Amino acid sequence: MSAETIKATPHDGAACTRCHKADTTHHIRSDKVCQSCFVQYVTTKAIKRMETYRIRGSSYNIPRKLLLPVSFGPSSASLLHILDQHIQGQYNRMNRASYELHVVHINVYVDPVDRKDADELLAKYKSRFPKHTYSIVNLGEALHLDGIDWKALDMEQPTEADRNTDRLLKLLASMSSATSRSDIASTLLARLLVDVANRNGCTGILFGDSTTRLAERTLTETAKGRGFSLPWQVSDGASPYGVDFHYPLRDVLKKEITSFSSLATPAIDGLILLREGSSLVSASSKLTTIDDLMVQYFESVEENYPSIVANVVRTSSKLQSLPNQDTQGCGLCGLPVAKDTDGIHGWGGDQNSDSRSAMEDSHHGILCYGCSRSINS
Amino acid sequence: MARTLCATCKTARALIIRPKNHQKLCKACFIAVFEAEIHHTITTTSLFSPGDRIAIGASGGKDSTVLASVLKTLNERYNYGLNLILLSIDEGIKGYRDDSLETVKRNAVQYDMPLKIVGYDELYGWTMDQVVEVIGKKGNCTYCGVFRRQALDRGAKMLGIKHVVTGHNADDVAETILMNLLRGDLPRLARSTSIVTGDSTSDVRRSKPLKYAYEKEIVLYAHHKKLDYFTTECLYSPEAFRGSARSLIKNLERVRPSAILDVVRSGEDMAKLVPEEVTGISQCKSQKVSLSSADGEEEGSGGCGNTNGRDSGGEMADMEKKLQLDEEASSREVDVTSLASTADGQNHDRIASKSVGRKRDTSRKLVKQTLGTCKRCGYMSSQDICKACTLLEGLNKNRPKMEIVIDVEDEESSTLRRRMEGVTLAAG
Ligand SMILES: [Zn+2]
Ligand SMILES: [Zn+2]
Ligand SMILES: [Zn+2]
Ligand SMILES: [Zn+2]
Repeated sequence: MSAETIKATPHDGAACTRCHKADTTHHIRSDKVCQSCFVQYVTTKAIKRMETYRIRGSSYNIPRKLLLPVSFGPSSASLLHILDQHIQGQYNRMNRASYELHVVHINVYVDPVDRKDADELLAKYKSRFPKHTYSIVNLGEALHLDGIDWKALDMEQPTEADRNTDRLLKLLASMSSATSRSDIASTLLARLLVDVANRNGCTGILFGDSTTRLAERTLTETAKGRGFSLPWQVSDGASPYGVDFHYPLRDVLKKEITSFSSLATPAIDGLILLREGSSLVSASSKLTTIDDLMVQYFESVEENYPSIVANVVRTSSKLQSLPNQDTQGCGLCGLPVAKDTDGIHGWGGDQNSDSRSAMEDSHHGILCYGCSRSINS
Repeated sequence: MARTLCATCKTARALIIRPKNHQKLCKACFIAVFEAEIHHTITTTSLFSPGDRIAIGASGGKDSTVLASVLKTLNERYNYGLNLILLSIDEGIKGYRDDSLETVKRNAVQYDMPLKIVGYDELYGWTMDQVVEVIGKKGNCTYCGVFRRQALDRGAKMLGIKHVVTGHNADDVAETILMNLLRGDLPRLARSTSIVTGDSTSDVRRSKPLKYAYEKEIVLYAHHKKLDYFTTECLYSPEAFRGSARSLIKNLERVRPSAILDVVRSGEDMAKLVPEEVTGISQCKSQKVSLSSADGEEEGSGGCGNTNGRDSGGEMADMEKKLQLDEEASSREVDVTSLASTADGQNHDRIASKSVGRKRDTSRKLVKQTLGTCKRCGYMSSQDICKACTLLEGLNKNRPKMEIVIDVEDEESSTLRRRMEGVTLAAG
């Protein structure tokens, strides 16, 4: 994919359409530009976004603290690289920065070998970007979060004696499809990140999602019956969890960020695992997930119609959560569920109790439609 | 080999795996649950009242044939008290409708329902063959599309019927939802999710009782009930966005059978989250883009048979080009405005920062969309003369095709687009 954008044009010899000095090596949409103008373009897109955020808790003297989760993929590594430079630039000019970063990696693998690899890789991040604080958290810790309704999940309340990992595996194993497993794992991951943010005094989370990723998410969540949650999944700003969600790379395409990650100086390639972190626990499964489908789909759309990708995100970002509603938190994802809209039954598309299996009827407690679908399939 | 028993009655042998949830059912239980679910849809949405005269838009295809069969069954079983009539449209293309209209005629006998076939000539004074004679093969799809969208409503009105039901199924609705996300068209997305369009004030309401029924189950039902329907390869190639959404839906269904229903549910939920001001913005910003190409077609409804040989990527490429021009224009504007607001010492909030460029040019053009009726034909329309009547005026003057797809960005063309938007809203 990066080959497309890095398409070197040595015989072309045309000068960069932006600086008119260097030879062109990259594309910004239809413009041919040089490497340094390309790097500048991506950096500026991210910084400009950052500057539009009115980050809560910020005041003149006390820099606000933000959580930056790294998946070891190119997007989050690039974002850290850009923001590290941004912060350094602020120090150089004003001897202070307007924000600080806490970098976290959520360990989604249960194998001890994988965990050791993760520890080692995060140590590399630390030595490459030493200004920030770091932590590593296992996904299994999500099971001890307050507000998970075990009864709604048809599982017993976890005890201290339970090994988190076993429990996580048990929960995921109870689901019959790869899509459901990946859905629940990413749901738990999101809640865990909020918890990590709170524990570390962060007022917001900076996600590394590119335009393309946000477009994928728009359609993925729609396909999983989570359309109601889109205002909190693709828009910058307040989340129902009390911390703000920000997407500074929302104006950068996936192929652009991939190219960018290979150009950073000093290099950051060593910080990036080729496998994107998005496939999570289901990475071992041969089964395709809805997430996989959308990744493939938008890869091809991005190739020919990058502005359509951006327009999908612009469109879904216009959706607004309903104010002043009678809501209850979902027992799994924690998002507000409007009264009488919980579960996969009892709505227009499923009024008929005869078609339910006995297992599906046994649940009590509040689950949103999307969580309920994954738990029941 | 062990016999698998039906999950519902637990006595008969399971012969059918329900596409919707993979339940194993016997034939009788499948037919019962399929009908029961449509009965639920009808009762929980209070779709009909006793004494209603309902026109079933009948094409002879599987969807409308199943709809007619199920409605007849339920009407008798639950005493809906409905007066059901089959309503078919004849575009007047020699040979094209012959087989499907024969099917509908047989259905009328089989279901003991009155049948009314209305021709484009009756409705518009022109058959499609005559239109082609005047404007040539190229571009006649525009006419056929505009005419077809109004044909059922106009036909119903001729018969004094206030409610038309169509065979749109869950796959169609899900496809439309994804398509409108891809086209960036929230207002149309919102409209497409409701089971009924139009209200007591409209001349003719439209509804889709099969909204939650899977296409695969419709085929199964038709098969097991041995219904007489007309199978045909649709000659009409869907426009690029719809085609793209359609293959996505098929893939999603393969990965997770509930996905079609889940998309419909998401669409219903998202419809509530579309803010009013977005309807305005979208009308001026994204919709004008989609309008020129998609022509406001709401649901995949068969074609006119005159395949247009359109390059199926055309609409996406057109939209891509327009969006890129928009982006260039607005990035220039943002540069200016963000400078200004920083000088103010104002922090932009997230909405402002996102739409600085947009707001500037839409505030001027934003026009409240009000639904009225066409002065000429009385069909729902947001301006004086509806799109069909505008086309007819051109035809009747024997002029070649009116300029309806205009790419030049001027005030006049966007006004025209808004007019067209009004029409398509009415058609929804
Ligand atoms: Zn340059
Ligand atoms: Zn939930
Ligand atoms: Zn049975
Ligand atoms: Zn009219």
